[in-house]
Amino acid sequence: MSVTDPAQTDLGYTDPNPMRAGRWPRVQAVAIPVVSVLLAFAIGGILIWLQGVNPLYAYWVLFQNALGSSEGLLRVMEKSTPLILTGLAVTIGLRTGLFNIGAQGQLLVGALGAAWAGYNFQLPALVHIPFAIVFGMLCGAAWASIAGVLRAYRSVSEVITTIMLNAVAIALVDYLASRPLKESDQPITRTPPIAESAALPDFGIVPSGFLIALAVAIFFSWFLTRTNQGFRFNTVGMNPSAANYAGIGVKKTIFLAMAVSGALAGMGGAVETLGITGRFEPTFNAGLGFDGITIALLARANPIATIPAALLVGTLRSGAATLQFETGIEPEVVDVILALTLLFVAAPIVSRLLLRKKAQKRTSAGSGWGGA
Amino acid sequence: MHRKILAAGIVAVALVLTSCSSSTQEAAPEPAAAASEAAPEPAAAASEAAPAEPAASTTMDDSDCAAPENICVGLVTDTGKVDDKSFNQAAWEGTQLGAQSVGAFSKYIETTDPKDYANNIAQFAGKNYDIIVTVGFLMGEATVNAAAEFPNVKFIGVDQFQGEPIDNLAGLVFDESKAGYAVGYLAGLLTKTNKIGSALGTDTVPPVKLFGEGYKAGALAANPDVKVTLLYHEPNNAFGDPEWGAAEARKQLDQGADIIFSAGGATGNGGLIEVAKDPGAGTTVFCIGVDIDQYNTVPQAAKCLLTSAEKKLVSGTETLVVAAAGGTMTPGNNFGPTGIAAYHDTEGAVPDDVKTKVLAVLAGLEDGTIDTGCPACLDN
Repeated sequence: MSVTDPAQTDLGYTDPNPMRAGRWPRVQAVAIPVVSVLLAFAIGGILIWLQGVNPLYAYWVLFQNALGSSEGLLRVMEKSTPLILTGLAVTIGLRTGLFNIGAQGQLLVGALGAAWAGYNFQLPALVHIPFAIVFGMLCGAAWASIAGVLRAYRSVSEVITTIMLNAVAIALVDYLASRPLKESDQPITRTPPIAESAALPDFGIVPSGFLIALAVAIFFSWFLTRTNQGFRFNTVGMNPSAANYAGIGVKKTIFLAMAVSGALAGMGGAVETLGITGRFEPTFNAGLGFDGITIALLARANPIATIPAALLVGTLRSGAATLQFETGIEPEVVDVILALTLLFVAAPIVSRLLLRKKAQKRTSAGSGWGGA
Repeated sequence: MHRKILAAGIVAVALVLTSCSSSTQEAAPEPAAAASEAAPEPAAAASEAAPAEPAASTTMDDSDCAAPENICVGLVTDTGKVDDKSFNQAAWEGTQLGAQSVGAFSKYIETTDPKDYANNIAQFAGKNYDIIVTVGFLMGEATVNAAAEFPNVKFIGVDQFQGEPIDNLAGLVFDESKAGYAVGYLAGLLTKTNKIGSALGTDTVPPVKLFGEGYKAGALAANPDVKVTLLYHEPNNAFGDPEWGAAEARKQLDQGADIIFSAGGATGNGGLIEVAKDPGAGTTVFCIGVDIDQYNTVPQAAKCLLTSAEKKLVSGTETLVVAAAGGTMTPGNNFGPTGIAAYHDTEGAVPDDVKTKVLAVLAGLEDGTIDTGCPACLDN
């Protein structure tokens, strides 16, 4: 693909506008993730085989457990819910040319915020649930806005700030959950349980959080392709200079996209707290935000595609224990597969980025991946 | 670019095919699963028992745990690996020993996410396992819930204090004051300055206070002139404050203490590592660890580490597994043995007569002739 092809941006997602995108980018949009996943499974299979287990049997166990029973399906949906939302968070960033590595931190802050809103108030469920979710989203948005302001108005790379803010968020929620917001009279670092009125119910075997995540993914698909604000996000992501020339407030758009991204990650944390964990405990939310990066890249920044990508990751994660139970394979093989997937998905993007930078003989340390 | 992608795809497919076809030739699914079982277990019951013992008395695998003659024991780790040199590993070793002696089959699942406790327990219950061991006090709630959900399974909660006894759940707990007394006695005999100190997690958590009070009682029994400082962290963040542990240990060393009992998760470890940094570490100043042999878990402190006030998790777990298999398990709290860990690098710094005296005290603690003054000490 030539570097001047307008359908292809730095970040490797395909321009949804069919006027510019030919048939090939669309094929590629599906082919790269699928090939990456297959490659990762093949190498993972070799690792499994080296431990003396038939990879086909291992993968069958992995998927059969996750998809073969209603409990398994429930667990896959539970695991996928926050992943869809963090995947969307990273996606919104990518579409606006921002690489938000801070979804984990934003999720933690949102999860803690929702827990506080959940245990600190007694409200009717119809008010309490939305209130706690929105509060968690606001916490996530506020946290991401720190990086957003720095990026938009001081040109500080959001890659750096969001990574560092992850560390700050971990320390912050640890402090809050071990001191001011800690459940008293017991030694574990955690908040009190949320009120029953704040708990997200299950509809049969479908957790309501999962339905919320699906709805949000569909909403953002519409938002990015059919609204003015979505158009601004895309335009700034593809070419900030052109966006500026066209009269789009680039700084404001970048700030807004970062806040929306943080709100989505915060929502992931909130839904997890209200639907699964029932309280905030720092160890509960490990890795959810980082899986979001894998998912967004696997979905090639397409909101709808985050759903299957998150389901794949959720399936692997929920099947890991059964894999060890049935075959003795260590559950970390799942991490290996996911890491390889990320590597293969990201490789074409990175190489294109490098080639382009080289071709244009221009580096700009102050801008992010998709920056000018 | 088109061709490259295509080529990558072909390579991918080829890789998938080769890896699959070669492995199907190697091993059929079922035996492969059983074979791999033996691999991760260091002293595995399965691998040793298979050729040596007759199949009649030993449960070979978990394909038919429901049969009354087959006993299956499962262990769910707290987040962490089964070779963590700490609670998980000790509990797994004890489980294997117990399973071996009653001819049971044993297997573990390593928890990667605390949200999976219940599901991991359910994996074993779903396969009709007879006994399920769960590790660590963080799993306490999940274990109580699982015991109610699976009334036919016997549960062993390692390091889990039981409030209301539940019929099918035995908690393995320890009288920390005994282990504390033993290391205190050792410290009382060894101190040259007649000043010994401590950096402990909060006294609002009973086990920590039992360690501390036992330490003091033991030291005074060995040496009436010794001055013992018991220093507890405030309740908040009691186990996650290594800086506090280090600072308090340092302070007491500066005030002339020459042995520091540093106990309480990361807080205690901070104290141990600080003492190890002292120029006199291992010759004039020493530290004492807690719970398990911290020589393995905090190697940075090896230089000063005299011993650790140890909960004997291996034999405690083994005993309970055997009891559960024999139908003699007692619901509620079961006290496991306590003691002190090996001296390791500080072996030479401990005179033989001291070692002998400590052994005598350990025996006295075990048979009950020595009273640590606890649990009444909790009211101090």
